[in-house]
Amino acid sequence: MTDSSENRALLPAGLHDLLPPRAAQEAATISGIMDAFRACGYEQVKPPLVEFESTLVGNGTNGGGSLAGQMFRMMDPVSQRMMAVRADITLQVARIAEARLHDEPRPLRLSYAGQILRVRGNQLRPERQFAQVGLELVGAEDVSADVEVVALAAEALVAAGVQRPTVDLNSPALVANILEQLDLDEATSNDLRAALDRKDEDATGEILRSNGIAFSDAAKALCALIETVGPADEVIAELKEISLSAGARAEVERLSEVVAGLHAALPNLGLTLDPVEYRGFEYHTGVSFTLFAEGVRGELGRGGRYITGAGEAATGVSLYMDSILRALPAPIPGDRLFLPYGTPFQDGATFRDAGWTTVAAMTSEGDVGAEAIRLGCSHLLVDGVPAKADGSDT
Amino acid sequence: MATKTEKLILALPKGRILGEVMPLLAHVGIEPEAAFNDPKSRLLRFETSVPDVDIIRVRAFDVATFVAFGAAHFGVAGSDVIMEFDYPELYAPIDLGIGACRLAVAAPQSVVAVDDPARWSHVRVATKYPNMTERYFARRGVQAECIKLNGAIELAPSLGLCRRIVDLVSTGSTLKANGLVEIETIAEISSRLVVNRAALKTRATEMTGWIDRFRDAAQEARDVA
Repeated sequence: MTDSSENRALLPAGLHDLLPPRAAQEAATISGIMDAFRACGYEQVKPPLVEFESTLVGNGTNGGGSLAGQMFRMMDPVSQRMMAVRADITLQVARIAEARLHDEPRPLRLSYAGQILRVRGNQLRPERQFAQVGLELVGAEDVSADVEVVALAAEALVAAGVQRPTVDLNSPALVANILEQLDLDEATSNDLRAALDRKDEDATGEILRSNGIAFSDAAKALCALIETVGPADEVIAELKEISLSAGARAEVERLSEVVAGLHAALPNLGLTLDPVEYRGFEYHTGVSFTLFAEGVRGELGRGGRYITGAGEAATGVSLYMDSILRALPAPIPGDRLFLPYGTPFQDGATFRDAGWTTVAAMTSEGDVGAEAIRLGCSHLLVDGVPAKADGSDT
Repeated sequence: MATKTEKLILALPKGRILGEVMPLLAHVGIEPEAAFNDPKSRLLRFETSVPDVDIIRVRAFDVATFVAFGAAHFGVAGSDVIMEFDYPELYAPIDLGIGACRLAVAAPQSVVAVDDPARWSHVRVATKYPNMTERYFARRGVQAECIKLNGAIELAPSLGLCRRIVDLVSTGSTLKANGLVEIETIAEISSRLVVNRAALKTRATEMTGWIDRFRDAAQEARDVA
C-alpha cells in the first residue's frame, strides 16, 4: 500500500533520473571515450549486471574484498545461490581475461562501459548508481604499459571536454615496502596508515617515536616521504635524495620512468606525484594514479597496476561518469528544424541526413512559427527551405 | 597558464581559536583586510594582503565541511572536528600547536562513586560528538546512545537528560562548576592545518608552498614557547 502523502517523484537516496540534455550528453561522452579506447586497440566486453556473489567478492587480493560491503545482494531463486549486483566492473573484466580469454594473445586490451550500483554513496559522490567506463591492459609488465594507460585516460578526458585534467601518480607499493621494514604489529601499522592517509606529519612522528623506532632508516624515509607531494619532477628529485632500501628504490625508479614516459607522450599534461596516497589502492602492486580536474571536487577516475587472480601483471583505469559530467559545461543545444503538419517523412530525411534534428508537427492548427518555438525549434521549414523560427534572417 | 585560476579560500574558525590563529597568519604573511577585525562588519568573506587568498570565517565545526567539499581550499580545524566527521577528502598535515584541550568523558561525582565501568553494556551520553563517542565506547564493547547537543552540555546530567557527557575540557573549571568529574580522556585535541585533497593535487605548487609556510610558523611558535 502506498501512502497517499508520498510524492511519486521521490526516488531512493543516491538514485537519479538523468534528463535532457544531460542524459544524451552522458551517452555521447561515454561513446567518445570508448572510441578513443578502441582506436588504441582496446576491444569492448560487456559483463552482466549481476553475478554469483562469490565471483564478485573475489579472493581478497584483487580488490573485491574491499567492495564486499558495497554490493546489493539477492538470492537467485533458480540456483538458490547468493547473487550480487556489481559495485565495480574492473573485477569482472579481470575475470573475463583469466577465465574466458586466457588463450588470447597477450598483452590483452579490453574496454568496458556500464552502470554500477553501490550500497552507500559518500560525501563527494552521493550517487549509488553511476556509469563506470574503463580499460584493462592484461599481461604487460613493461613501463610502456603504465604510460599507455595513463596517457590514454588523460587524453580521453580532454576529448570528452574536461578542462585541464591532472594526473596524480601514486605508489602504494613504496609505502608498503617501508612499512614492512618497520615490522610493526597490526594495530600500530593501522594507526600509522591512518596518519599517513591524513598526511598528518606530527601524528606519524609521534607513532614512530612512541614505538622507539624514530631513528631507523625506514622511519626517517617515511617522515621524509610524507612531505613530498607536488609537481612530479620535483618529487622525483626529492625521492632520489631519500635513503631507501633496494626494493623501495626500484619503485622510485619505476615512477621516474613513468614520469619521463608521460612527459614525452603528453608534454602539457599536469602531473603531480604523491608517494604516500594509499586509500583505495589496497590491492595495487605498482604505479597507480588518480585523475583530477581543477575546480572539480573529488576524483574523475583512478587506476593502476595489479596482479590478476591468475597471476598475470595487469594495469587499467576506471573513469566515473558522474564526476566527469560534473566537470563538463552544460551542452549547447543544437539546431532543431520544425516540419509543418503534413510534411512527408522522406522530405525530413533529406535534412536529417544533412545533420539536422527534425521535429514533426502533430497538428495543423495555430501559427506555425509560434508552434516551432513552443517546441524548442530554432528553425522552421518554409517552402522546403529552413528559415529561422523567430522570423529573423538566417 | 592559459586561464586565470580562482582564488584560494582559507577557512578560519570563529571564536576562541581565532585569536591564537592570527599570529600564525601574520607569520605566513596573510594579513586580512580591516573589516575582518571590525565586530560590526557583516562580511563573511574577506580579502587579504595576498591577492589570491581570501579568508572566510565560519563556525569551528563547519571549517572541516567547507574544506572537505572543496568550497574552501585550506583551513584551520580542531582535531576533534576532523575526527568527528572523518572526511576522506581532508588532509591534516600540520599540528599548529594551538587550541590544546582534550575530549573527555565526565559524570556527576555521585555517579562515579557507585559506578563500575567494566559492567557497562549500554550508556546514554549527551555530546556534541556522537560519532567519536560511539566509536570510543564501541571499542570497549559498550553501546553508546548519544543525545546530540550543540552547547551547554554540562547541564545535561544535573537535569536528568543523561548521566554522562562527552565534551571538550581545557582547564576543567566548567566541569567543576557543574559538579562533574572527568572520568576518562578519549583524545588529546589541538588545531590542525587542513587541506582539501583535490586542491593539493590540482594546485600542487601553491598548496605545498602554503603547507611549508604554516609548518615553519608552527615550528617557530613551538621554539619560542
